[in-house]
Amino acid sequence: MSKSNISRRGFIEGGVGLTIANVIPGTTPLALAASMEERTVTAAKAAGAADVSGMIWSPYFVPMQPVIAEFKKQTGIGVGGVQDISIFDAPQRAMAEALSRSPQFDFIHIDSNMIPSLASAGYLEPLDQYMKQADFKIEAVADYANFMTYKGQTYGIPTDGNVHIQYVRKDLIEDPDNKKKFADKHGKELKFPEVWEDDLKIQQTLMDPSKDLYGSGNLRNRANGPTWWYMIFYSAGGFTFDDDMNPTLDTPAGQYAVDIYLQDKKGAHPESAGWGTAQMIPRISQGHVVSCQYWDGTARLNENPAKSKLRGKWLYGLVPGSDFSGKRIHRSISSPLAALLINKYSPRKAQAAYLALWLGSGKNSIPIVSDPVNTFNDAWAKEHMTAPQVIDAYTAPAIKAIETNFQVVSPPTYLTGYLEFQDTLGKNLSEAYVGQLPAKDVLKKTQDEWNAVVRRIGRSKLKDELASYKAVMPKRNLPA
Amino acid sequence: MSVAAVPAASVDLQRSPRALSRRRAIRWFRWSILGPLIVLLAVVLMPVLLLQLYFSFHQWSVYLGSWSEAEYVGLDLFGEVLTDPRFGWAVVRSLAFATGSTIGCFLVGFALAFLMYKPFRGQALYYTIFILPMLTVPVVVAYTAEMLLYQSGPINDLISRITGIEFKPMWLTDPNIALMTVMLLEIWNWAPFSFIILLAGLAAIPKEPIEAAEILGASRWRIFWEVQLPLLRPVIFLALVLRFLEAMAEFPKTWALLQGGPGTATETLPVYIFLTTWQYFEISKGAVMSYIVMVMMIVIVLFAIRLLRREKRSLDAMYGQAAREAAA
Repeated sequence: MSKSNISRRGFIEGGVGLTIANVIPGTTPLALAASMEERTVTAAKAAGAADVSGMIWSPYFVPMQPVIAEFKKQTGIGVGGVQDISIFDAPQRAMAEALSRSPQFDFIHIDSNMIPSLASAGYLEPLDQYMKQADFKIEAVADYANFMTYKGQTYGIPTDGNVHIQYVRKDLIEDPDNKKKFADKHGKELKFPEVWEDDLKIQQTLMDPSKDLYGSGNLRNRANGPTWWYMIFYSAGGFTFDDDMNPTLDTPAGQYAVDIYLQDKKGAHPESAGWGTAQMIPRISQGHVVSCQYWDGTARLNENPAKSKLRGKWLYGLVPGSDFSGKRIHRSISSPLAALLINKYSPRKAQAAYLALWLGSGKNSIPIVSDPVNTFNDAWAKEHMTAPQVIDAYTAPAIKAIETNFQVVSPPTYLTGYLEFQDTLGKNLSEAYVGQLPAKDVLKKTQDEWNAVVRRIGRSKLKDELASYKAVMPKRNLPA
Repeated sequence: MSVAAVPAASVDLQRSPRALSRRRAIRWFRWSILGPLIVLLAVVLMPVLLLQLYFSFHQWSVYLGSWSEAEYVGLDLFGEVLTDPRFGWAVVRSLAFATGSTIGCFLVGFALAFLMYKPFRGQALYYTIFILPMLTVPVVVAYTAEMLLYQSGPINDLISRITGIEFKPMWLTDPNIALMTVMLLEIWNWAPFSFIILLAGLAAIPKEPIEAAEILGASRWRIFWEVQLPLLRPVIFLALVLRFLEAMAEFPKTWALLQGGPGTATETLPVYIFLTTWQYFEISKGAVMSYIVMVMMIVIVLFAIRLLRREKRSLDAMYGQAAREAAA
């Protein structure tokens, strides 16, 4: 470091200059002495009062309402009206809004994996300037805030972590008879599964269909199935594309993932091929499942005495990993990851952006993620991990599991064309699961279809995005 | 081409001022009815059709540039769609679904109409009950069915109890029967539509031929088979055609229940077009598919109209013959 000579005159001139620059509106963040929430309020007030409108699913929206009411009280910015659209249907609707460049919604609450597609369609307002104005940071666990970024800009504020954690029935896994049965059958100790193969063994050994107890609670329907496949694929060391955007699914890692994915059928309910969350969440919370990977919010349901008879009878932890690549890798997933995105064409985008920041502060989101009834918004912020209210809703082991899984959380294909990639993979996996397509053809067929998607969207455009996708991938193989 | 000889008196009559004025009034009336419709079509429908036509010949990716800058690709997209096996299977599934549900709706609708066409006490109540399914929103039908049709759900349970045999089909998750399940729901939902049309048809059959047949000592079966059914044929045909066209476009139940799955077992044409347009955002390919389906439907409708006309002609001929025989 070199020493520089600054004259007294130069020092005074520089000081005066900085002082003047500091009072010009819009050039500097607000005073840092205030809390992040206070700074957001101050910045929002400057944007002016307004009632914004948005597209959001009511189970997500209901627990946000008291927090929004407080913002309205402090800033005059509230929510005038919303369209209640399921998070699973929202992407199509959002793309229709993007196509028509409609200013109808000021914000949309949607799977953040849609960020590349919606930003490419020109619909999203980058939030960096608003975040800078309020000196706001997404204080998420591990590198989770990266999920909100695309090509170096921030486009979303998370409201729901939605990370997958491992669920195992504690009473079953700790039962001495089951321990003996498992040891006799597999020659190893029955314990919390660390790799996919062990999880399958536990499911198949402890299931008892005559008691309506099935091994697996994993989803294998067309819409959700890929989420599980990605976890296995990434943990086997696989990645979806090479640097030239050629799909790299039909690889040993990919085939391994298909094999594990399809083996789940042996422990699954016969109707699992068509079941989504509406069917599976009650099955898990009522104890009809031995072991599964599932979204973290179900832990809140399991531990809610008003909704579950199995409080305290579950073990929560890291999703299984794989040694397939020669080293142990664990990969959890967050999809759909619900986030608030702002419409670039909205006349109230500043107000909507500040409202999103308000809802996305660690402190303000505590009541949202700990609501005992509307359990869709799940913990994601560092502050959530220590907040008694949140820990009370999930239990300490579940919060620990969430924190652990966040350290190795990955996205599905985080590129423009996310829905296209997702649906073609889901279709082919589903066809294989129900016996319409040989397992060996799943990835070959998917690769062909993905190549067509790449050609249609544009190889060079997607190559540009690949860095954003890779930036979202976890950097560590195992949680700390 | 043949030219019919027209009697001179008739020509005079046609040229009379009164007849001319009447013809002019009819023409005006016709245009006053058709005019607004044509304007409405031109203003509302034509721009959509033209825009779709534009997209059919231009490859547009929603992610790159404005739609007006889309690349002209000629008939490439038509070729792509027509050689797409997934589209072919969607056509097959849609045709199977529409045929099966149309026949089912007809059989149920006809049976109900036959039970109901003669007045009896409490008829209005039964009529209301029978048309209730048609008044239920298809999405509600789908979600209700989802709850009822689990393997261990109430329907299987009820059938098992009644028959004493364990009845455990997986209505929604077995790819071999999933489409049939939606078909059954479609029949439940829309059989009342066929019922209403056929009931109106049965009620409109003139009594004289039936009474004549009864006097001649024909059995009830023979009256039904040889008198009522032939007279009802145009109405039956209309009911079948309308239902078939509706069934080809069925989307809400299939999507709400199965989204095209399990696998691709219920991926019918509307589902595949929806997926292509709104899941894969292949707006151009979706437009091409819509056009191809539209052409298919036009062909079916034209064929149906031709058959209907033939039915009408044969019916007119039958009436004419009956009238001549009566006169003789």
